[in-house]
Amino acid sequence: MTQTVPTTQENARASQRRAEIIRELNAEKPPGARIEHEGSIPLGPAMLVQRYRLGNGLTVLTSIDASAPVVSYHTWFAVGSRHERAGKTGLAHLFEHLMFNETENHPAGSFDRTLEEAGAESNAATWVDWTFYHESIPKDRVGLVIELEAERMSRLVLREPQVTSEKEVVANERRYRVDDDVEGAVSELLYKTAYTTHAYSWPTIGWMTDIEGFTTEDCAGFYRTYYAPNNATVVVVGDFRERDLLAKIQKAYGGLESADIPVEDVRPEPPQSEERRLSVKKPTATDKLAIAYHGPAFGDVDHVPLTMLSEVLFAGRSSRAHRTLVQKEEIATELRGWVSTFRDPGLFEIYATARPGKTSAELLAALDRELARVVSEPVTTFELDKVKAKVELALVQSLETASGKAEQIGFYHTVLGDAAGAFARLEAYRRTTRSDLLRVARRYLASERRTLIEVHPETSGNGG
Amino acid sequence: MSHAISHLDASAPGLANGEPRIFVEDSRALPLVSIAVALRSGAASDPVGKEGLTRVMVRMLRRGCRGMSSHEFEETVDALGAEISADVSSSVITLHADVITRSLDQVVDLLAAMMAEPTFDEVEIGKLLRETQGEIVEARDSDRSLATRHFRRLVFEGHPYGRRLGGTIPSVLALTEADVRASHAYHFKRGNIAIAFAGDVREARAAELAERLVAALPPGQPVPSEITSPERHGKRRLVFVDKPERTQTQILLGEVGSHPRDPDHIALHVATTIFGGTFTSRMMRAIRSDRGWSYGAYARLPYDKQRDAFSMWTFPAAKDAAACIALELQLLQAWREKGLSARELAFAKRYLVRSHAFDIDTPQKRVHQRLDVDLFDLPADYHDKYVDHVQAVTLDDANEATRRRVSSDDLVVAVVGTHAEIGEAVASAVPGLAKVEVVAYDAE
Repeated sequence: MTQTVPTTQENARASQRRAEIIRELNAEKPPGARIEHEGSIPLGPAMLVQRYRLGNGLTVLTSIDASAPVVSYHTWFAVGSRHERAGKTGLAHLFEHLMFNETENHPAGSFDRTLEEAGAESNAATWVDWTFYHESIPKDRVGLVIELEAERMSRLVLREPQVTSEKEVVANERRYRVDDDVEGAVSELLYKTAYTTHAYSWPTIGWMTDIEGFTTEDCAGFYRTYYAPNNATVVVVGDFRERDLLAKIQKAYGGLESADIPVEDVRPEPPQSEERRLSVKKPTATDKLAIAYHGPAFGDVDHVPLTMLSEVLFAGRSSRAHRTLVQKEEIATELRGWVSTFRDPGLFEIYATARPGKTSAELLAALDRELARVVSEPVTTFELDKVKAKVELALVQSLETASGKAEQIGFYHTVLGDAAGAFARLEAYRRTTRSDLLRVARRYLASERRTLIEVHPETSGNGG
Repeated sequence: MSHAISHLDASAPGLANGEPRIFVEDSRALPLVSIAVALRSGAASDPVGKEGLTRVMVRMLRRGCRGMSSHEFEETVDALGAEISADVSSSVITLHADVITRSLDQVVDLLAAMMAEPTFDEVEIGKLLRETQGEIVEARDSDRSLATRHFRRLVFEGHPYGRRLGGTIPSVLALTEADVRASHAYHFKRGNIAIAFAGDVREARAAELAERLVAALPPGQPVPSEITSPERHGKRRLVFVDKPERTQTQILLGEVGSHPRDPDHIALHVATTIFGGTFTSRMMRAIRSDRGWSYGAYARLPYDKQRDAFSMWTFPAAKDAAACIALELQLLQAWREKGLSARELAFAKRYLVRSHAFDIDTPQKRVHQRLDVDLFDLPADYHDKYVDHVQAVTLDDANEATRRRVSSDDLVVAVVGTHAEIGEAVASAVPGLAKVEVVAYDAE
């Protein structure tokens, strides 16, 4: 939701100046290149985000931050592993890798080399709902990033040798993150078991057989379908002049054609009616437990209180579960809880690691006691206030760099359509009551909504 | 805006007057203050057989102090909108705090209480020792940690850098309350401390807060460093960490590296950047881009108070491990014997000079550079003149530094994998091995 800043004398002048700049930039430009200013969005008490859209559908979000002579440039595409289909899982992620290869005007390898030579830091990430590419660069080189990003949005060259080599790289990434990593493998199994229908059931990195089977044609089709200006948002934060930046963006992206983004073939997850439980053996020294309750979507009104409940239970040494399972009963080494931040309903995930000699059954019994407590009685006011203080600190910490600010803006815009969503969420945390936490505990922590994976050591190792 | 405030007489070398040094980077950008209290001593002081002592002592600081129980302390920190953490390395102990500005005073008081009035309750110590035992077992799940542990053990054989900072299960279980108290008394002296503030705090206020932080600590001079310069062993050694069902390997190759006090350190740093320091480095192109063998392929040249390890890190599939090691040795030899090209050098210099903006883009990063100079005995202008020093490196400097500091003969290779499947092939990939060790992943 875009909120317009209340007009003051100063803002009126800035607004008038911006209108003049846009008139000047749009003079004699084709419709696809014309820029429209859609609004000024307050980002907390001291920052502003300007929202623009090009005629070809590209959204541009800018925020000036002159605290360091750098610019962070993020390009978010509204495509992730949820847009894949069975048999072709991992395509969004493989494609993210391929975006660092050859374009019509830049040979293979020159994208990274050119950016590094300019002193840039660059990388990318893919998840279920989105893919984003980011560069941070000294402020005098931002034009280079704009040119390179616009080029690969529309003129990527896909050839067999690069696809084959990159499939090998991704297969190795999968071995690193999943196949040889106990927690990675268990997390994958947890999602596969908890979701029977929704695309969240498969891992973003993809199943190994699917990775091995991709063809250059698969990649080209994916590119044509999802990589277009009307499926992308550019976020720019840092030390730049708005007019110069917009002129460069207009020049680089203005000629790109928008695409017909297909209607998403969404298959909502049916309600889970009974607990799902698996037991697996892994080469690990101790028992482990992974639990998932079906939870709300990130934009759901219940997401904030359920996240706060997770914090009360699992965040840090003062949390309830840590105090009981790690400190008092000494049955766990490590505990974590997290509510997934997905566009569609996600999971409330819990991971617990048993002490040597303790069992997953003991872990589960102790966890169940803690979960039953939050279902039967409200958390304390002190616990609620403590969580509010912690989330405020986390938000401020995330805004320390231009890149951190750009990520917050891009993520909230892409998932919720609200560039200032991080601050809206902070306000939601502040409004949340003990009753809200009790309500979501009772709604979501029901055994029939639960999936549970017990992990046991494969062989008897040297447990101590 | 940066300041280095010191209570020192300008003519006095080091910390002769036994007072802490204070560094401030003031920024109003966010209502956030970052504090680092650093001690110029670390786990190198752990007695033989009591490895892990310093880390246990530091973790005990938050488990009861100034009349607060462990739980009361944790609840207070969280309720203030703060985070307090601690790091222990061989040569430095650091307490970090991040805090919303409104709670700065209270957090300073908590830090002061942790440092000067820890309870060291015997029951809590027992709990922490058992917790640590569980963590040591759990660390065996991380193949990368296993590779690092055994790599450092061999590179720094007989040196404090080769010891396990967290200890072993027997060494941790041997610790007593008296050990913990003695360790605390050894490290926590006013003269052994440097304090850095970054963010929403002005210089005068930082000085006042620093005084409060150390007011209750005993006076004392800096703890003399027990870390000597590590020596090379002059031979090729392989340690294979045997773990079942590995589809992938973790591989570290390397040896003793260099220190900023070495006159050729910056030249070697520039050369290492070309070899394995960027996404388009020689290693990355040959191993990832051309062959797809490993998701990452990096070379690093970190420093500590003395020379740390130069290392090359890859993680290929088990089937490619031997070939990957052979290729890494070829790359190493070519780098050493043929050196860099003028074009590569120019590229590395542009990259390092321009990307330096991201080494100093937050007040926290800027103040930590100043702290590093103090803690790791860096040349006084190491960070301030970094760009000039990089610019001054010539091709001869870079290639000579590589030949002098990097040897393909004096080399440790650490591999985590399944020995029955690839052990023989891996050993064959490293000619001239003077020693081969095979250790079980769960061996203490």
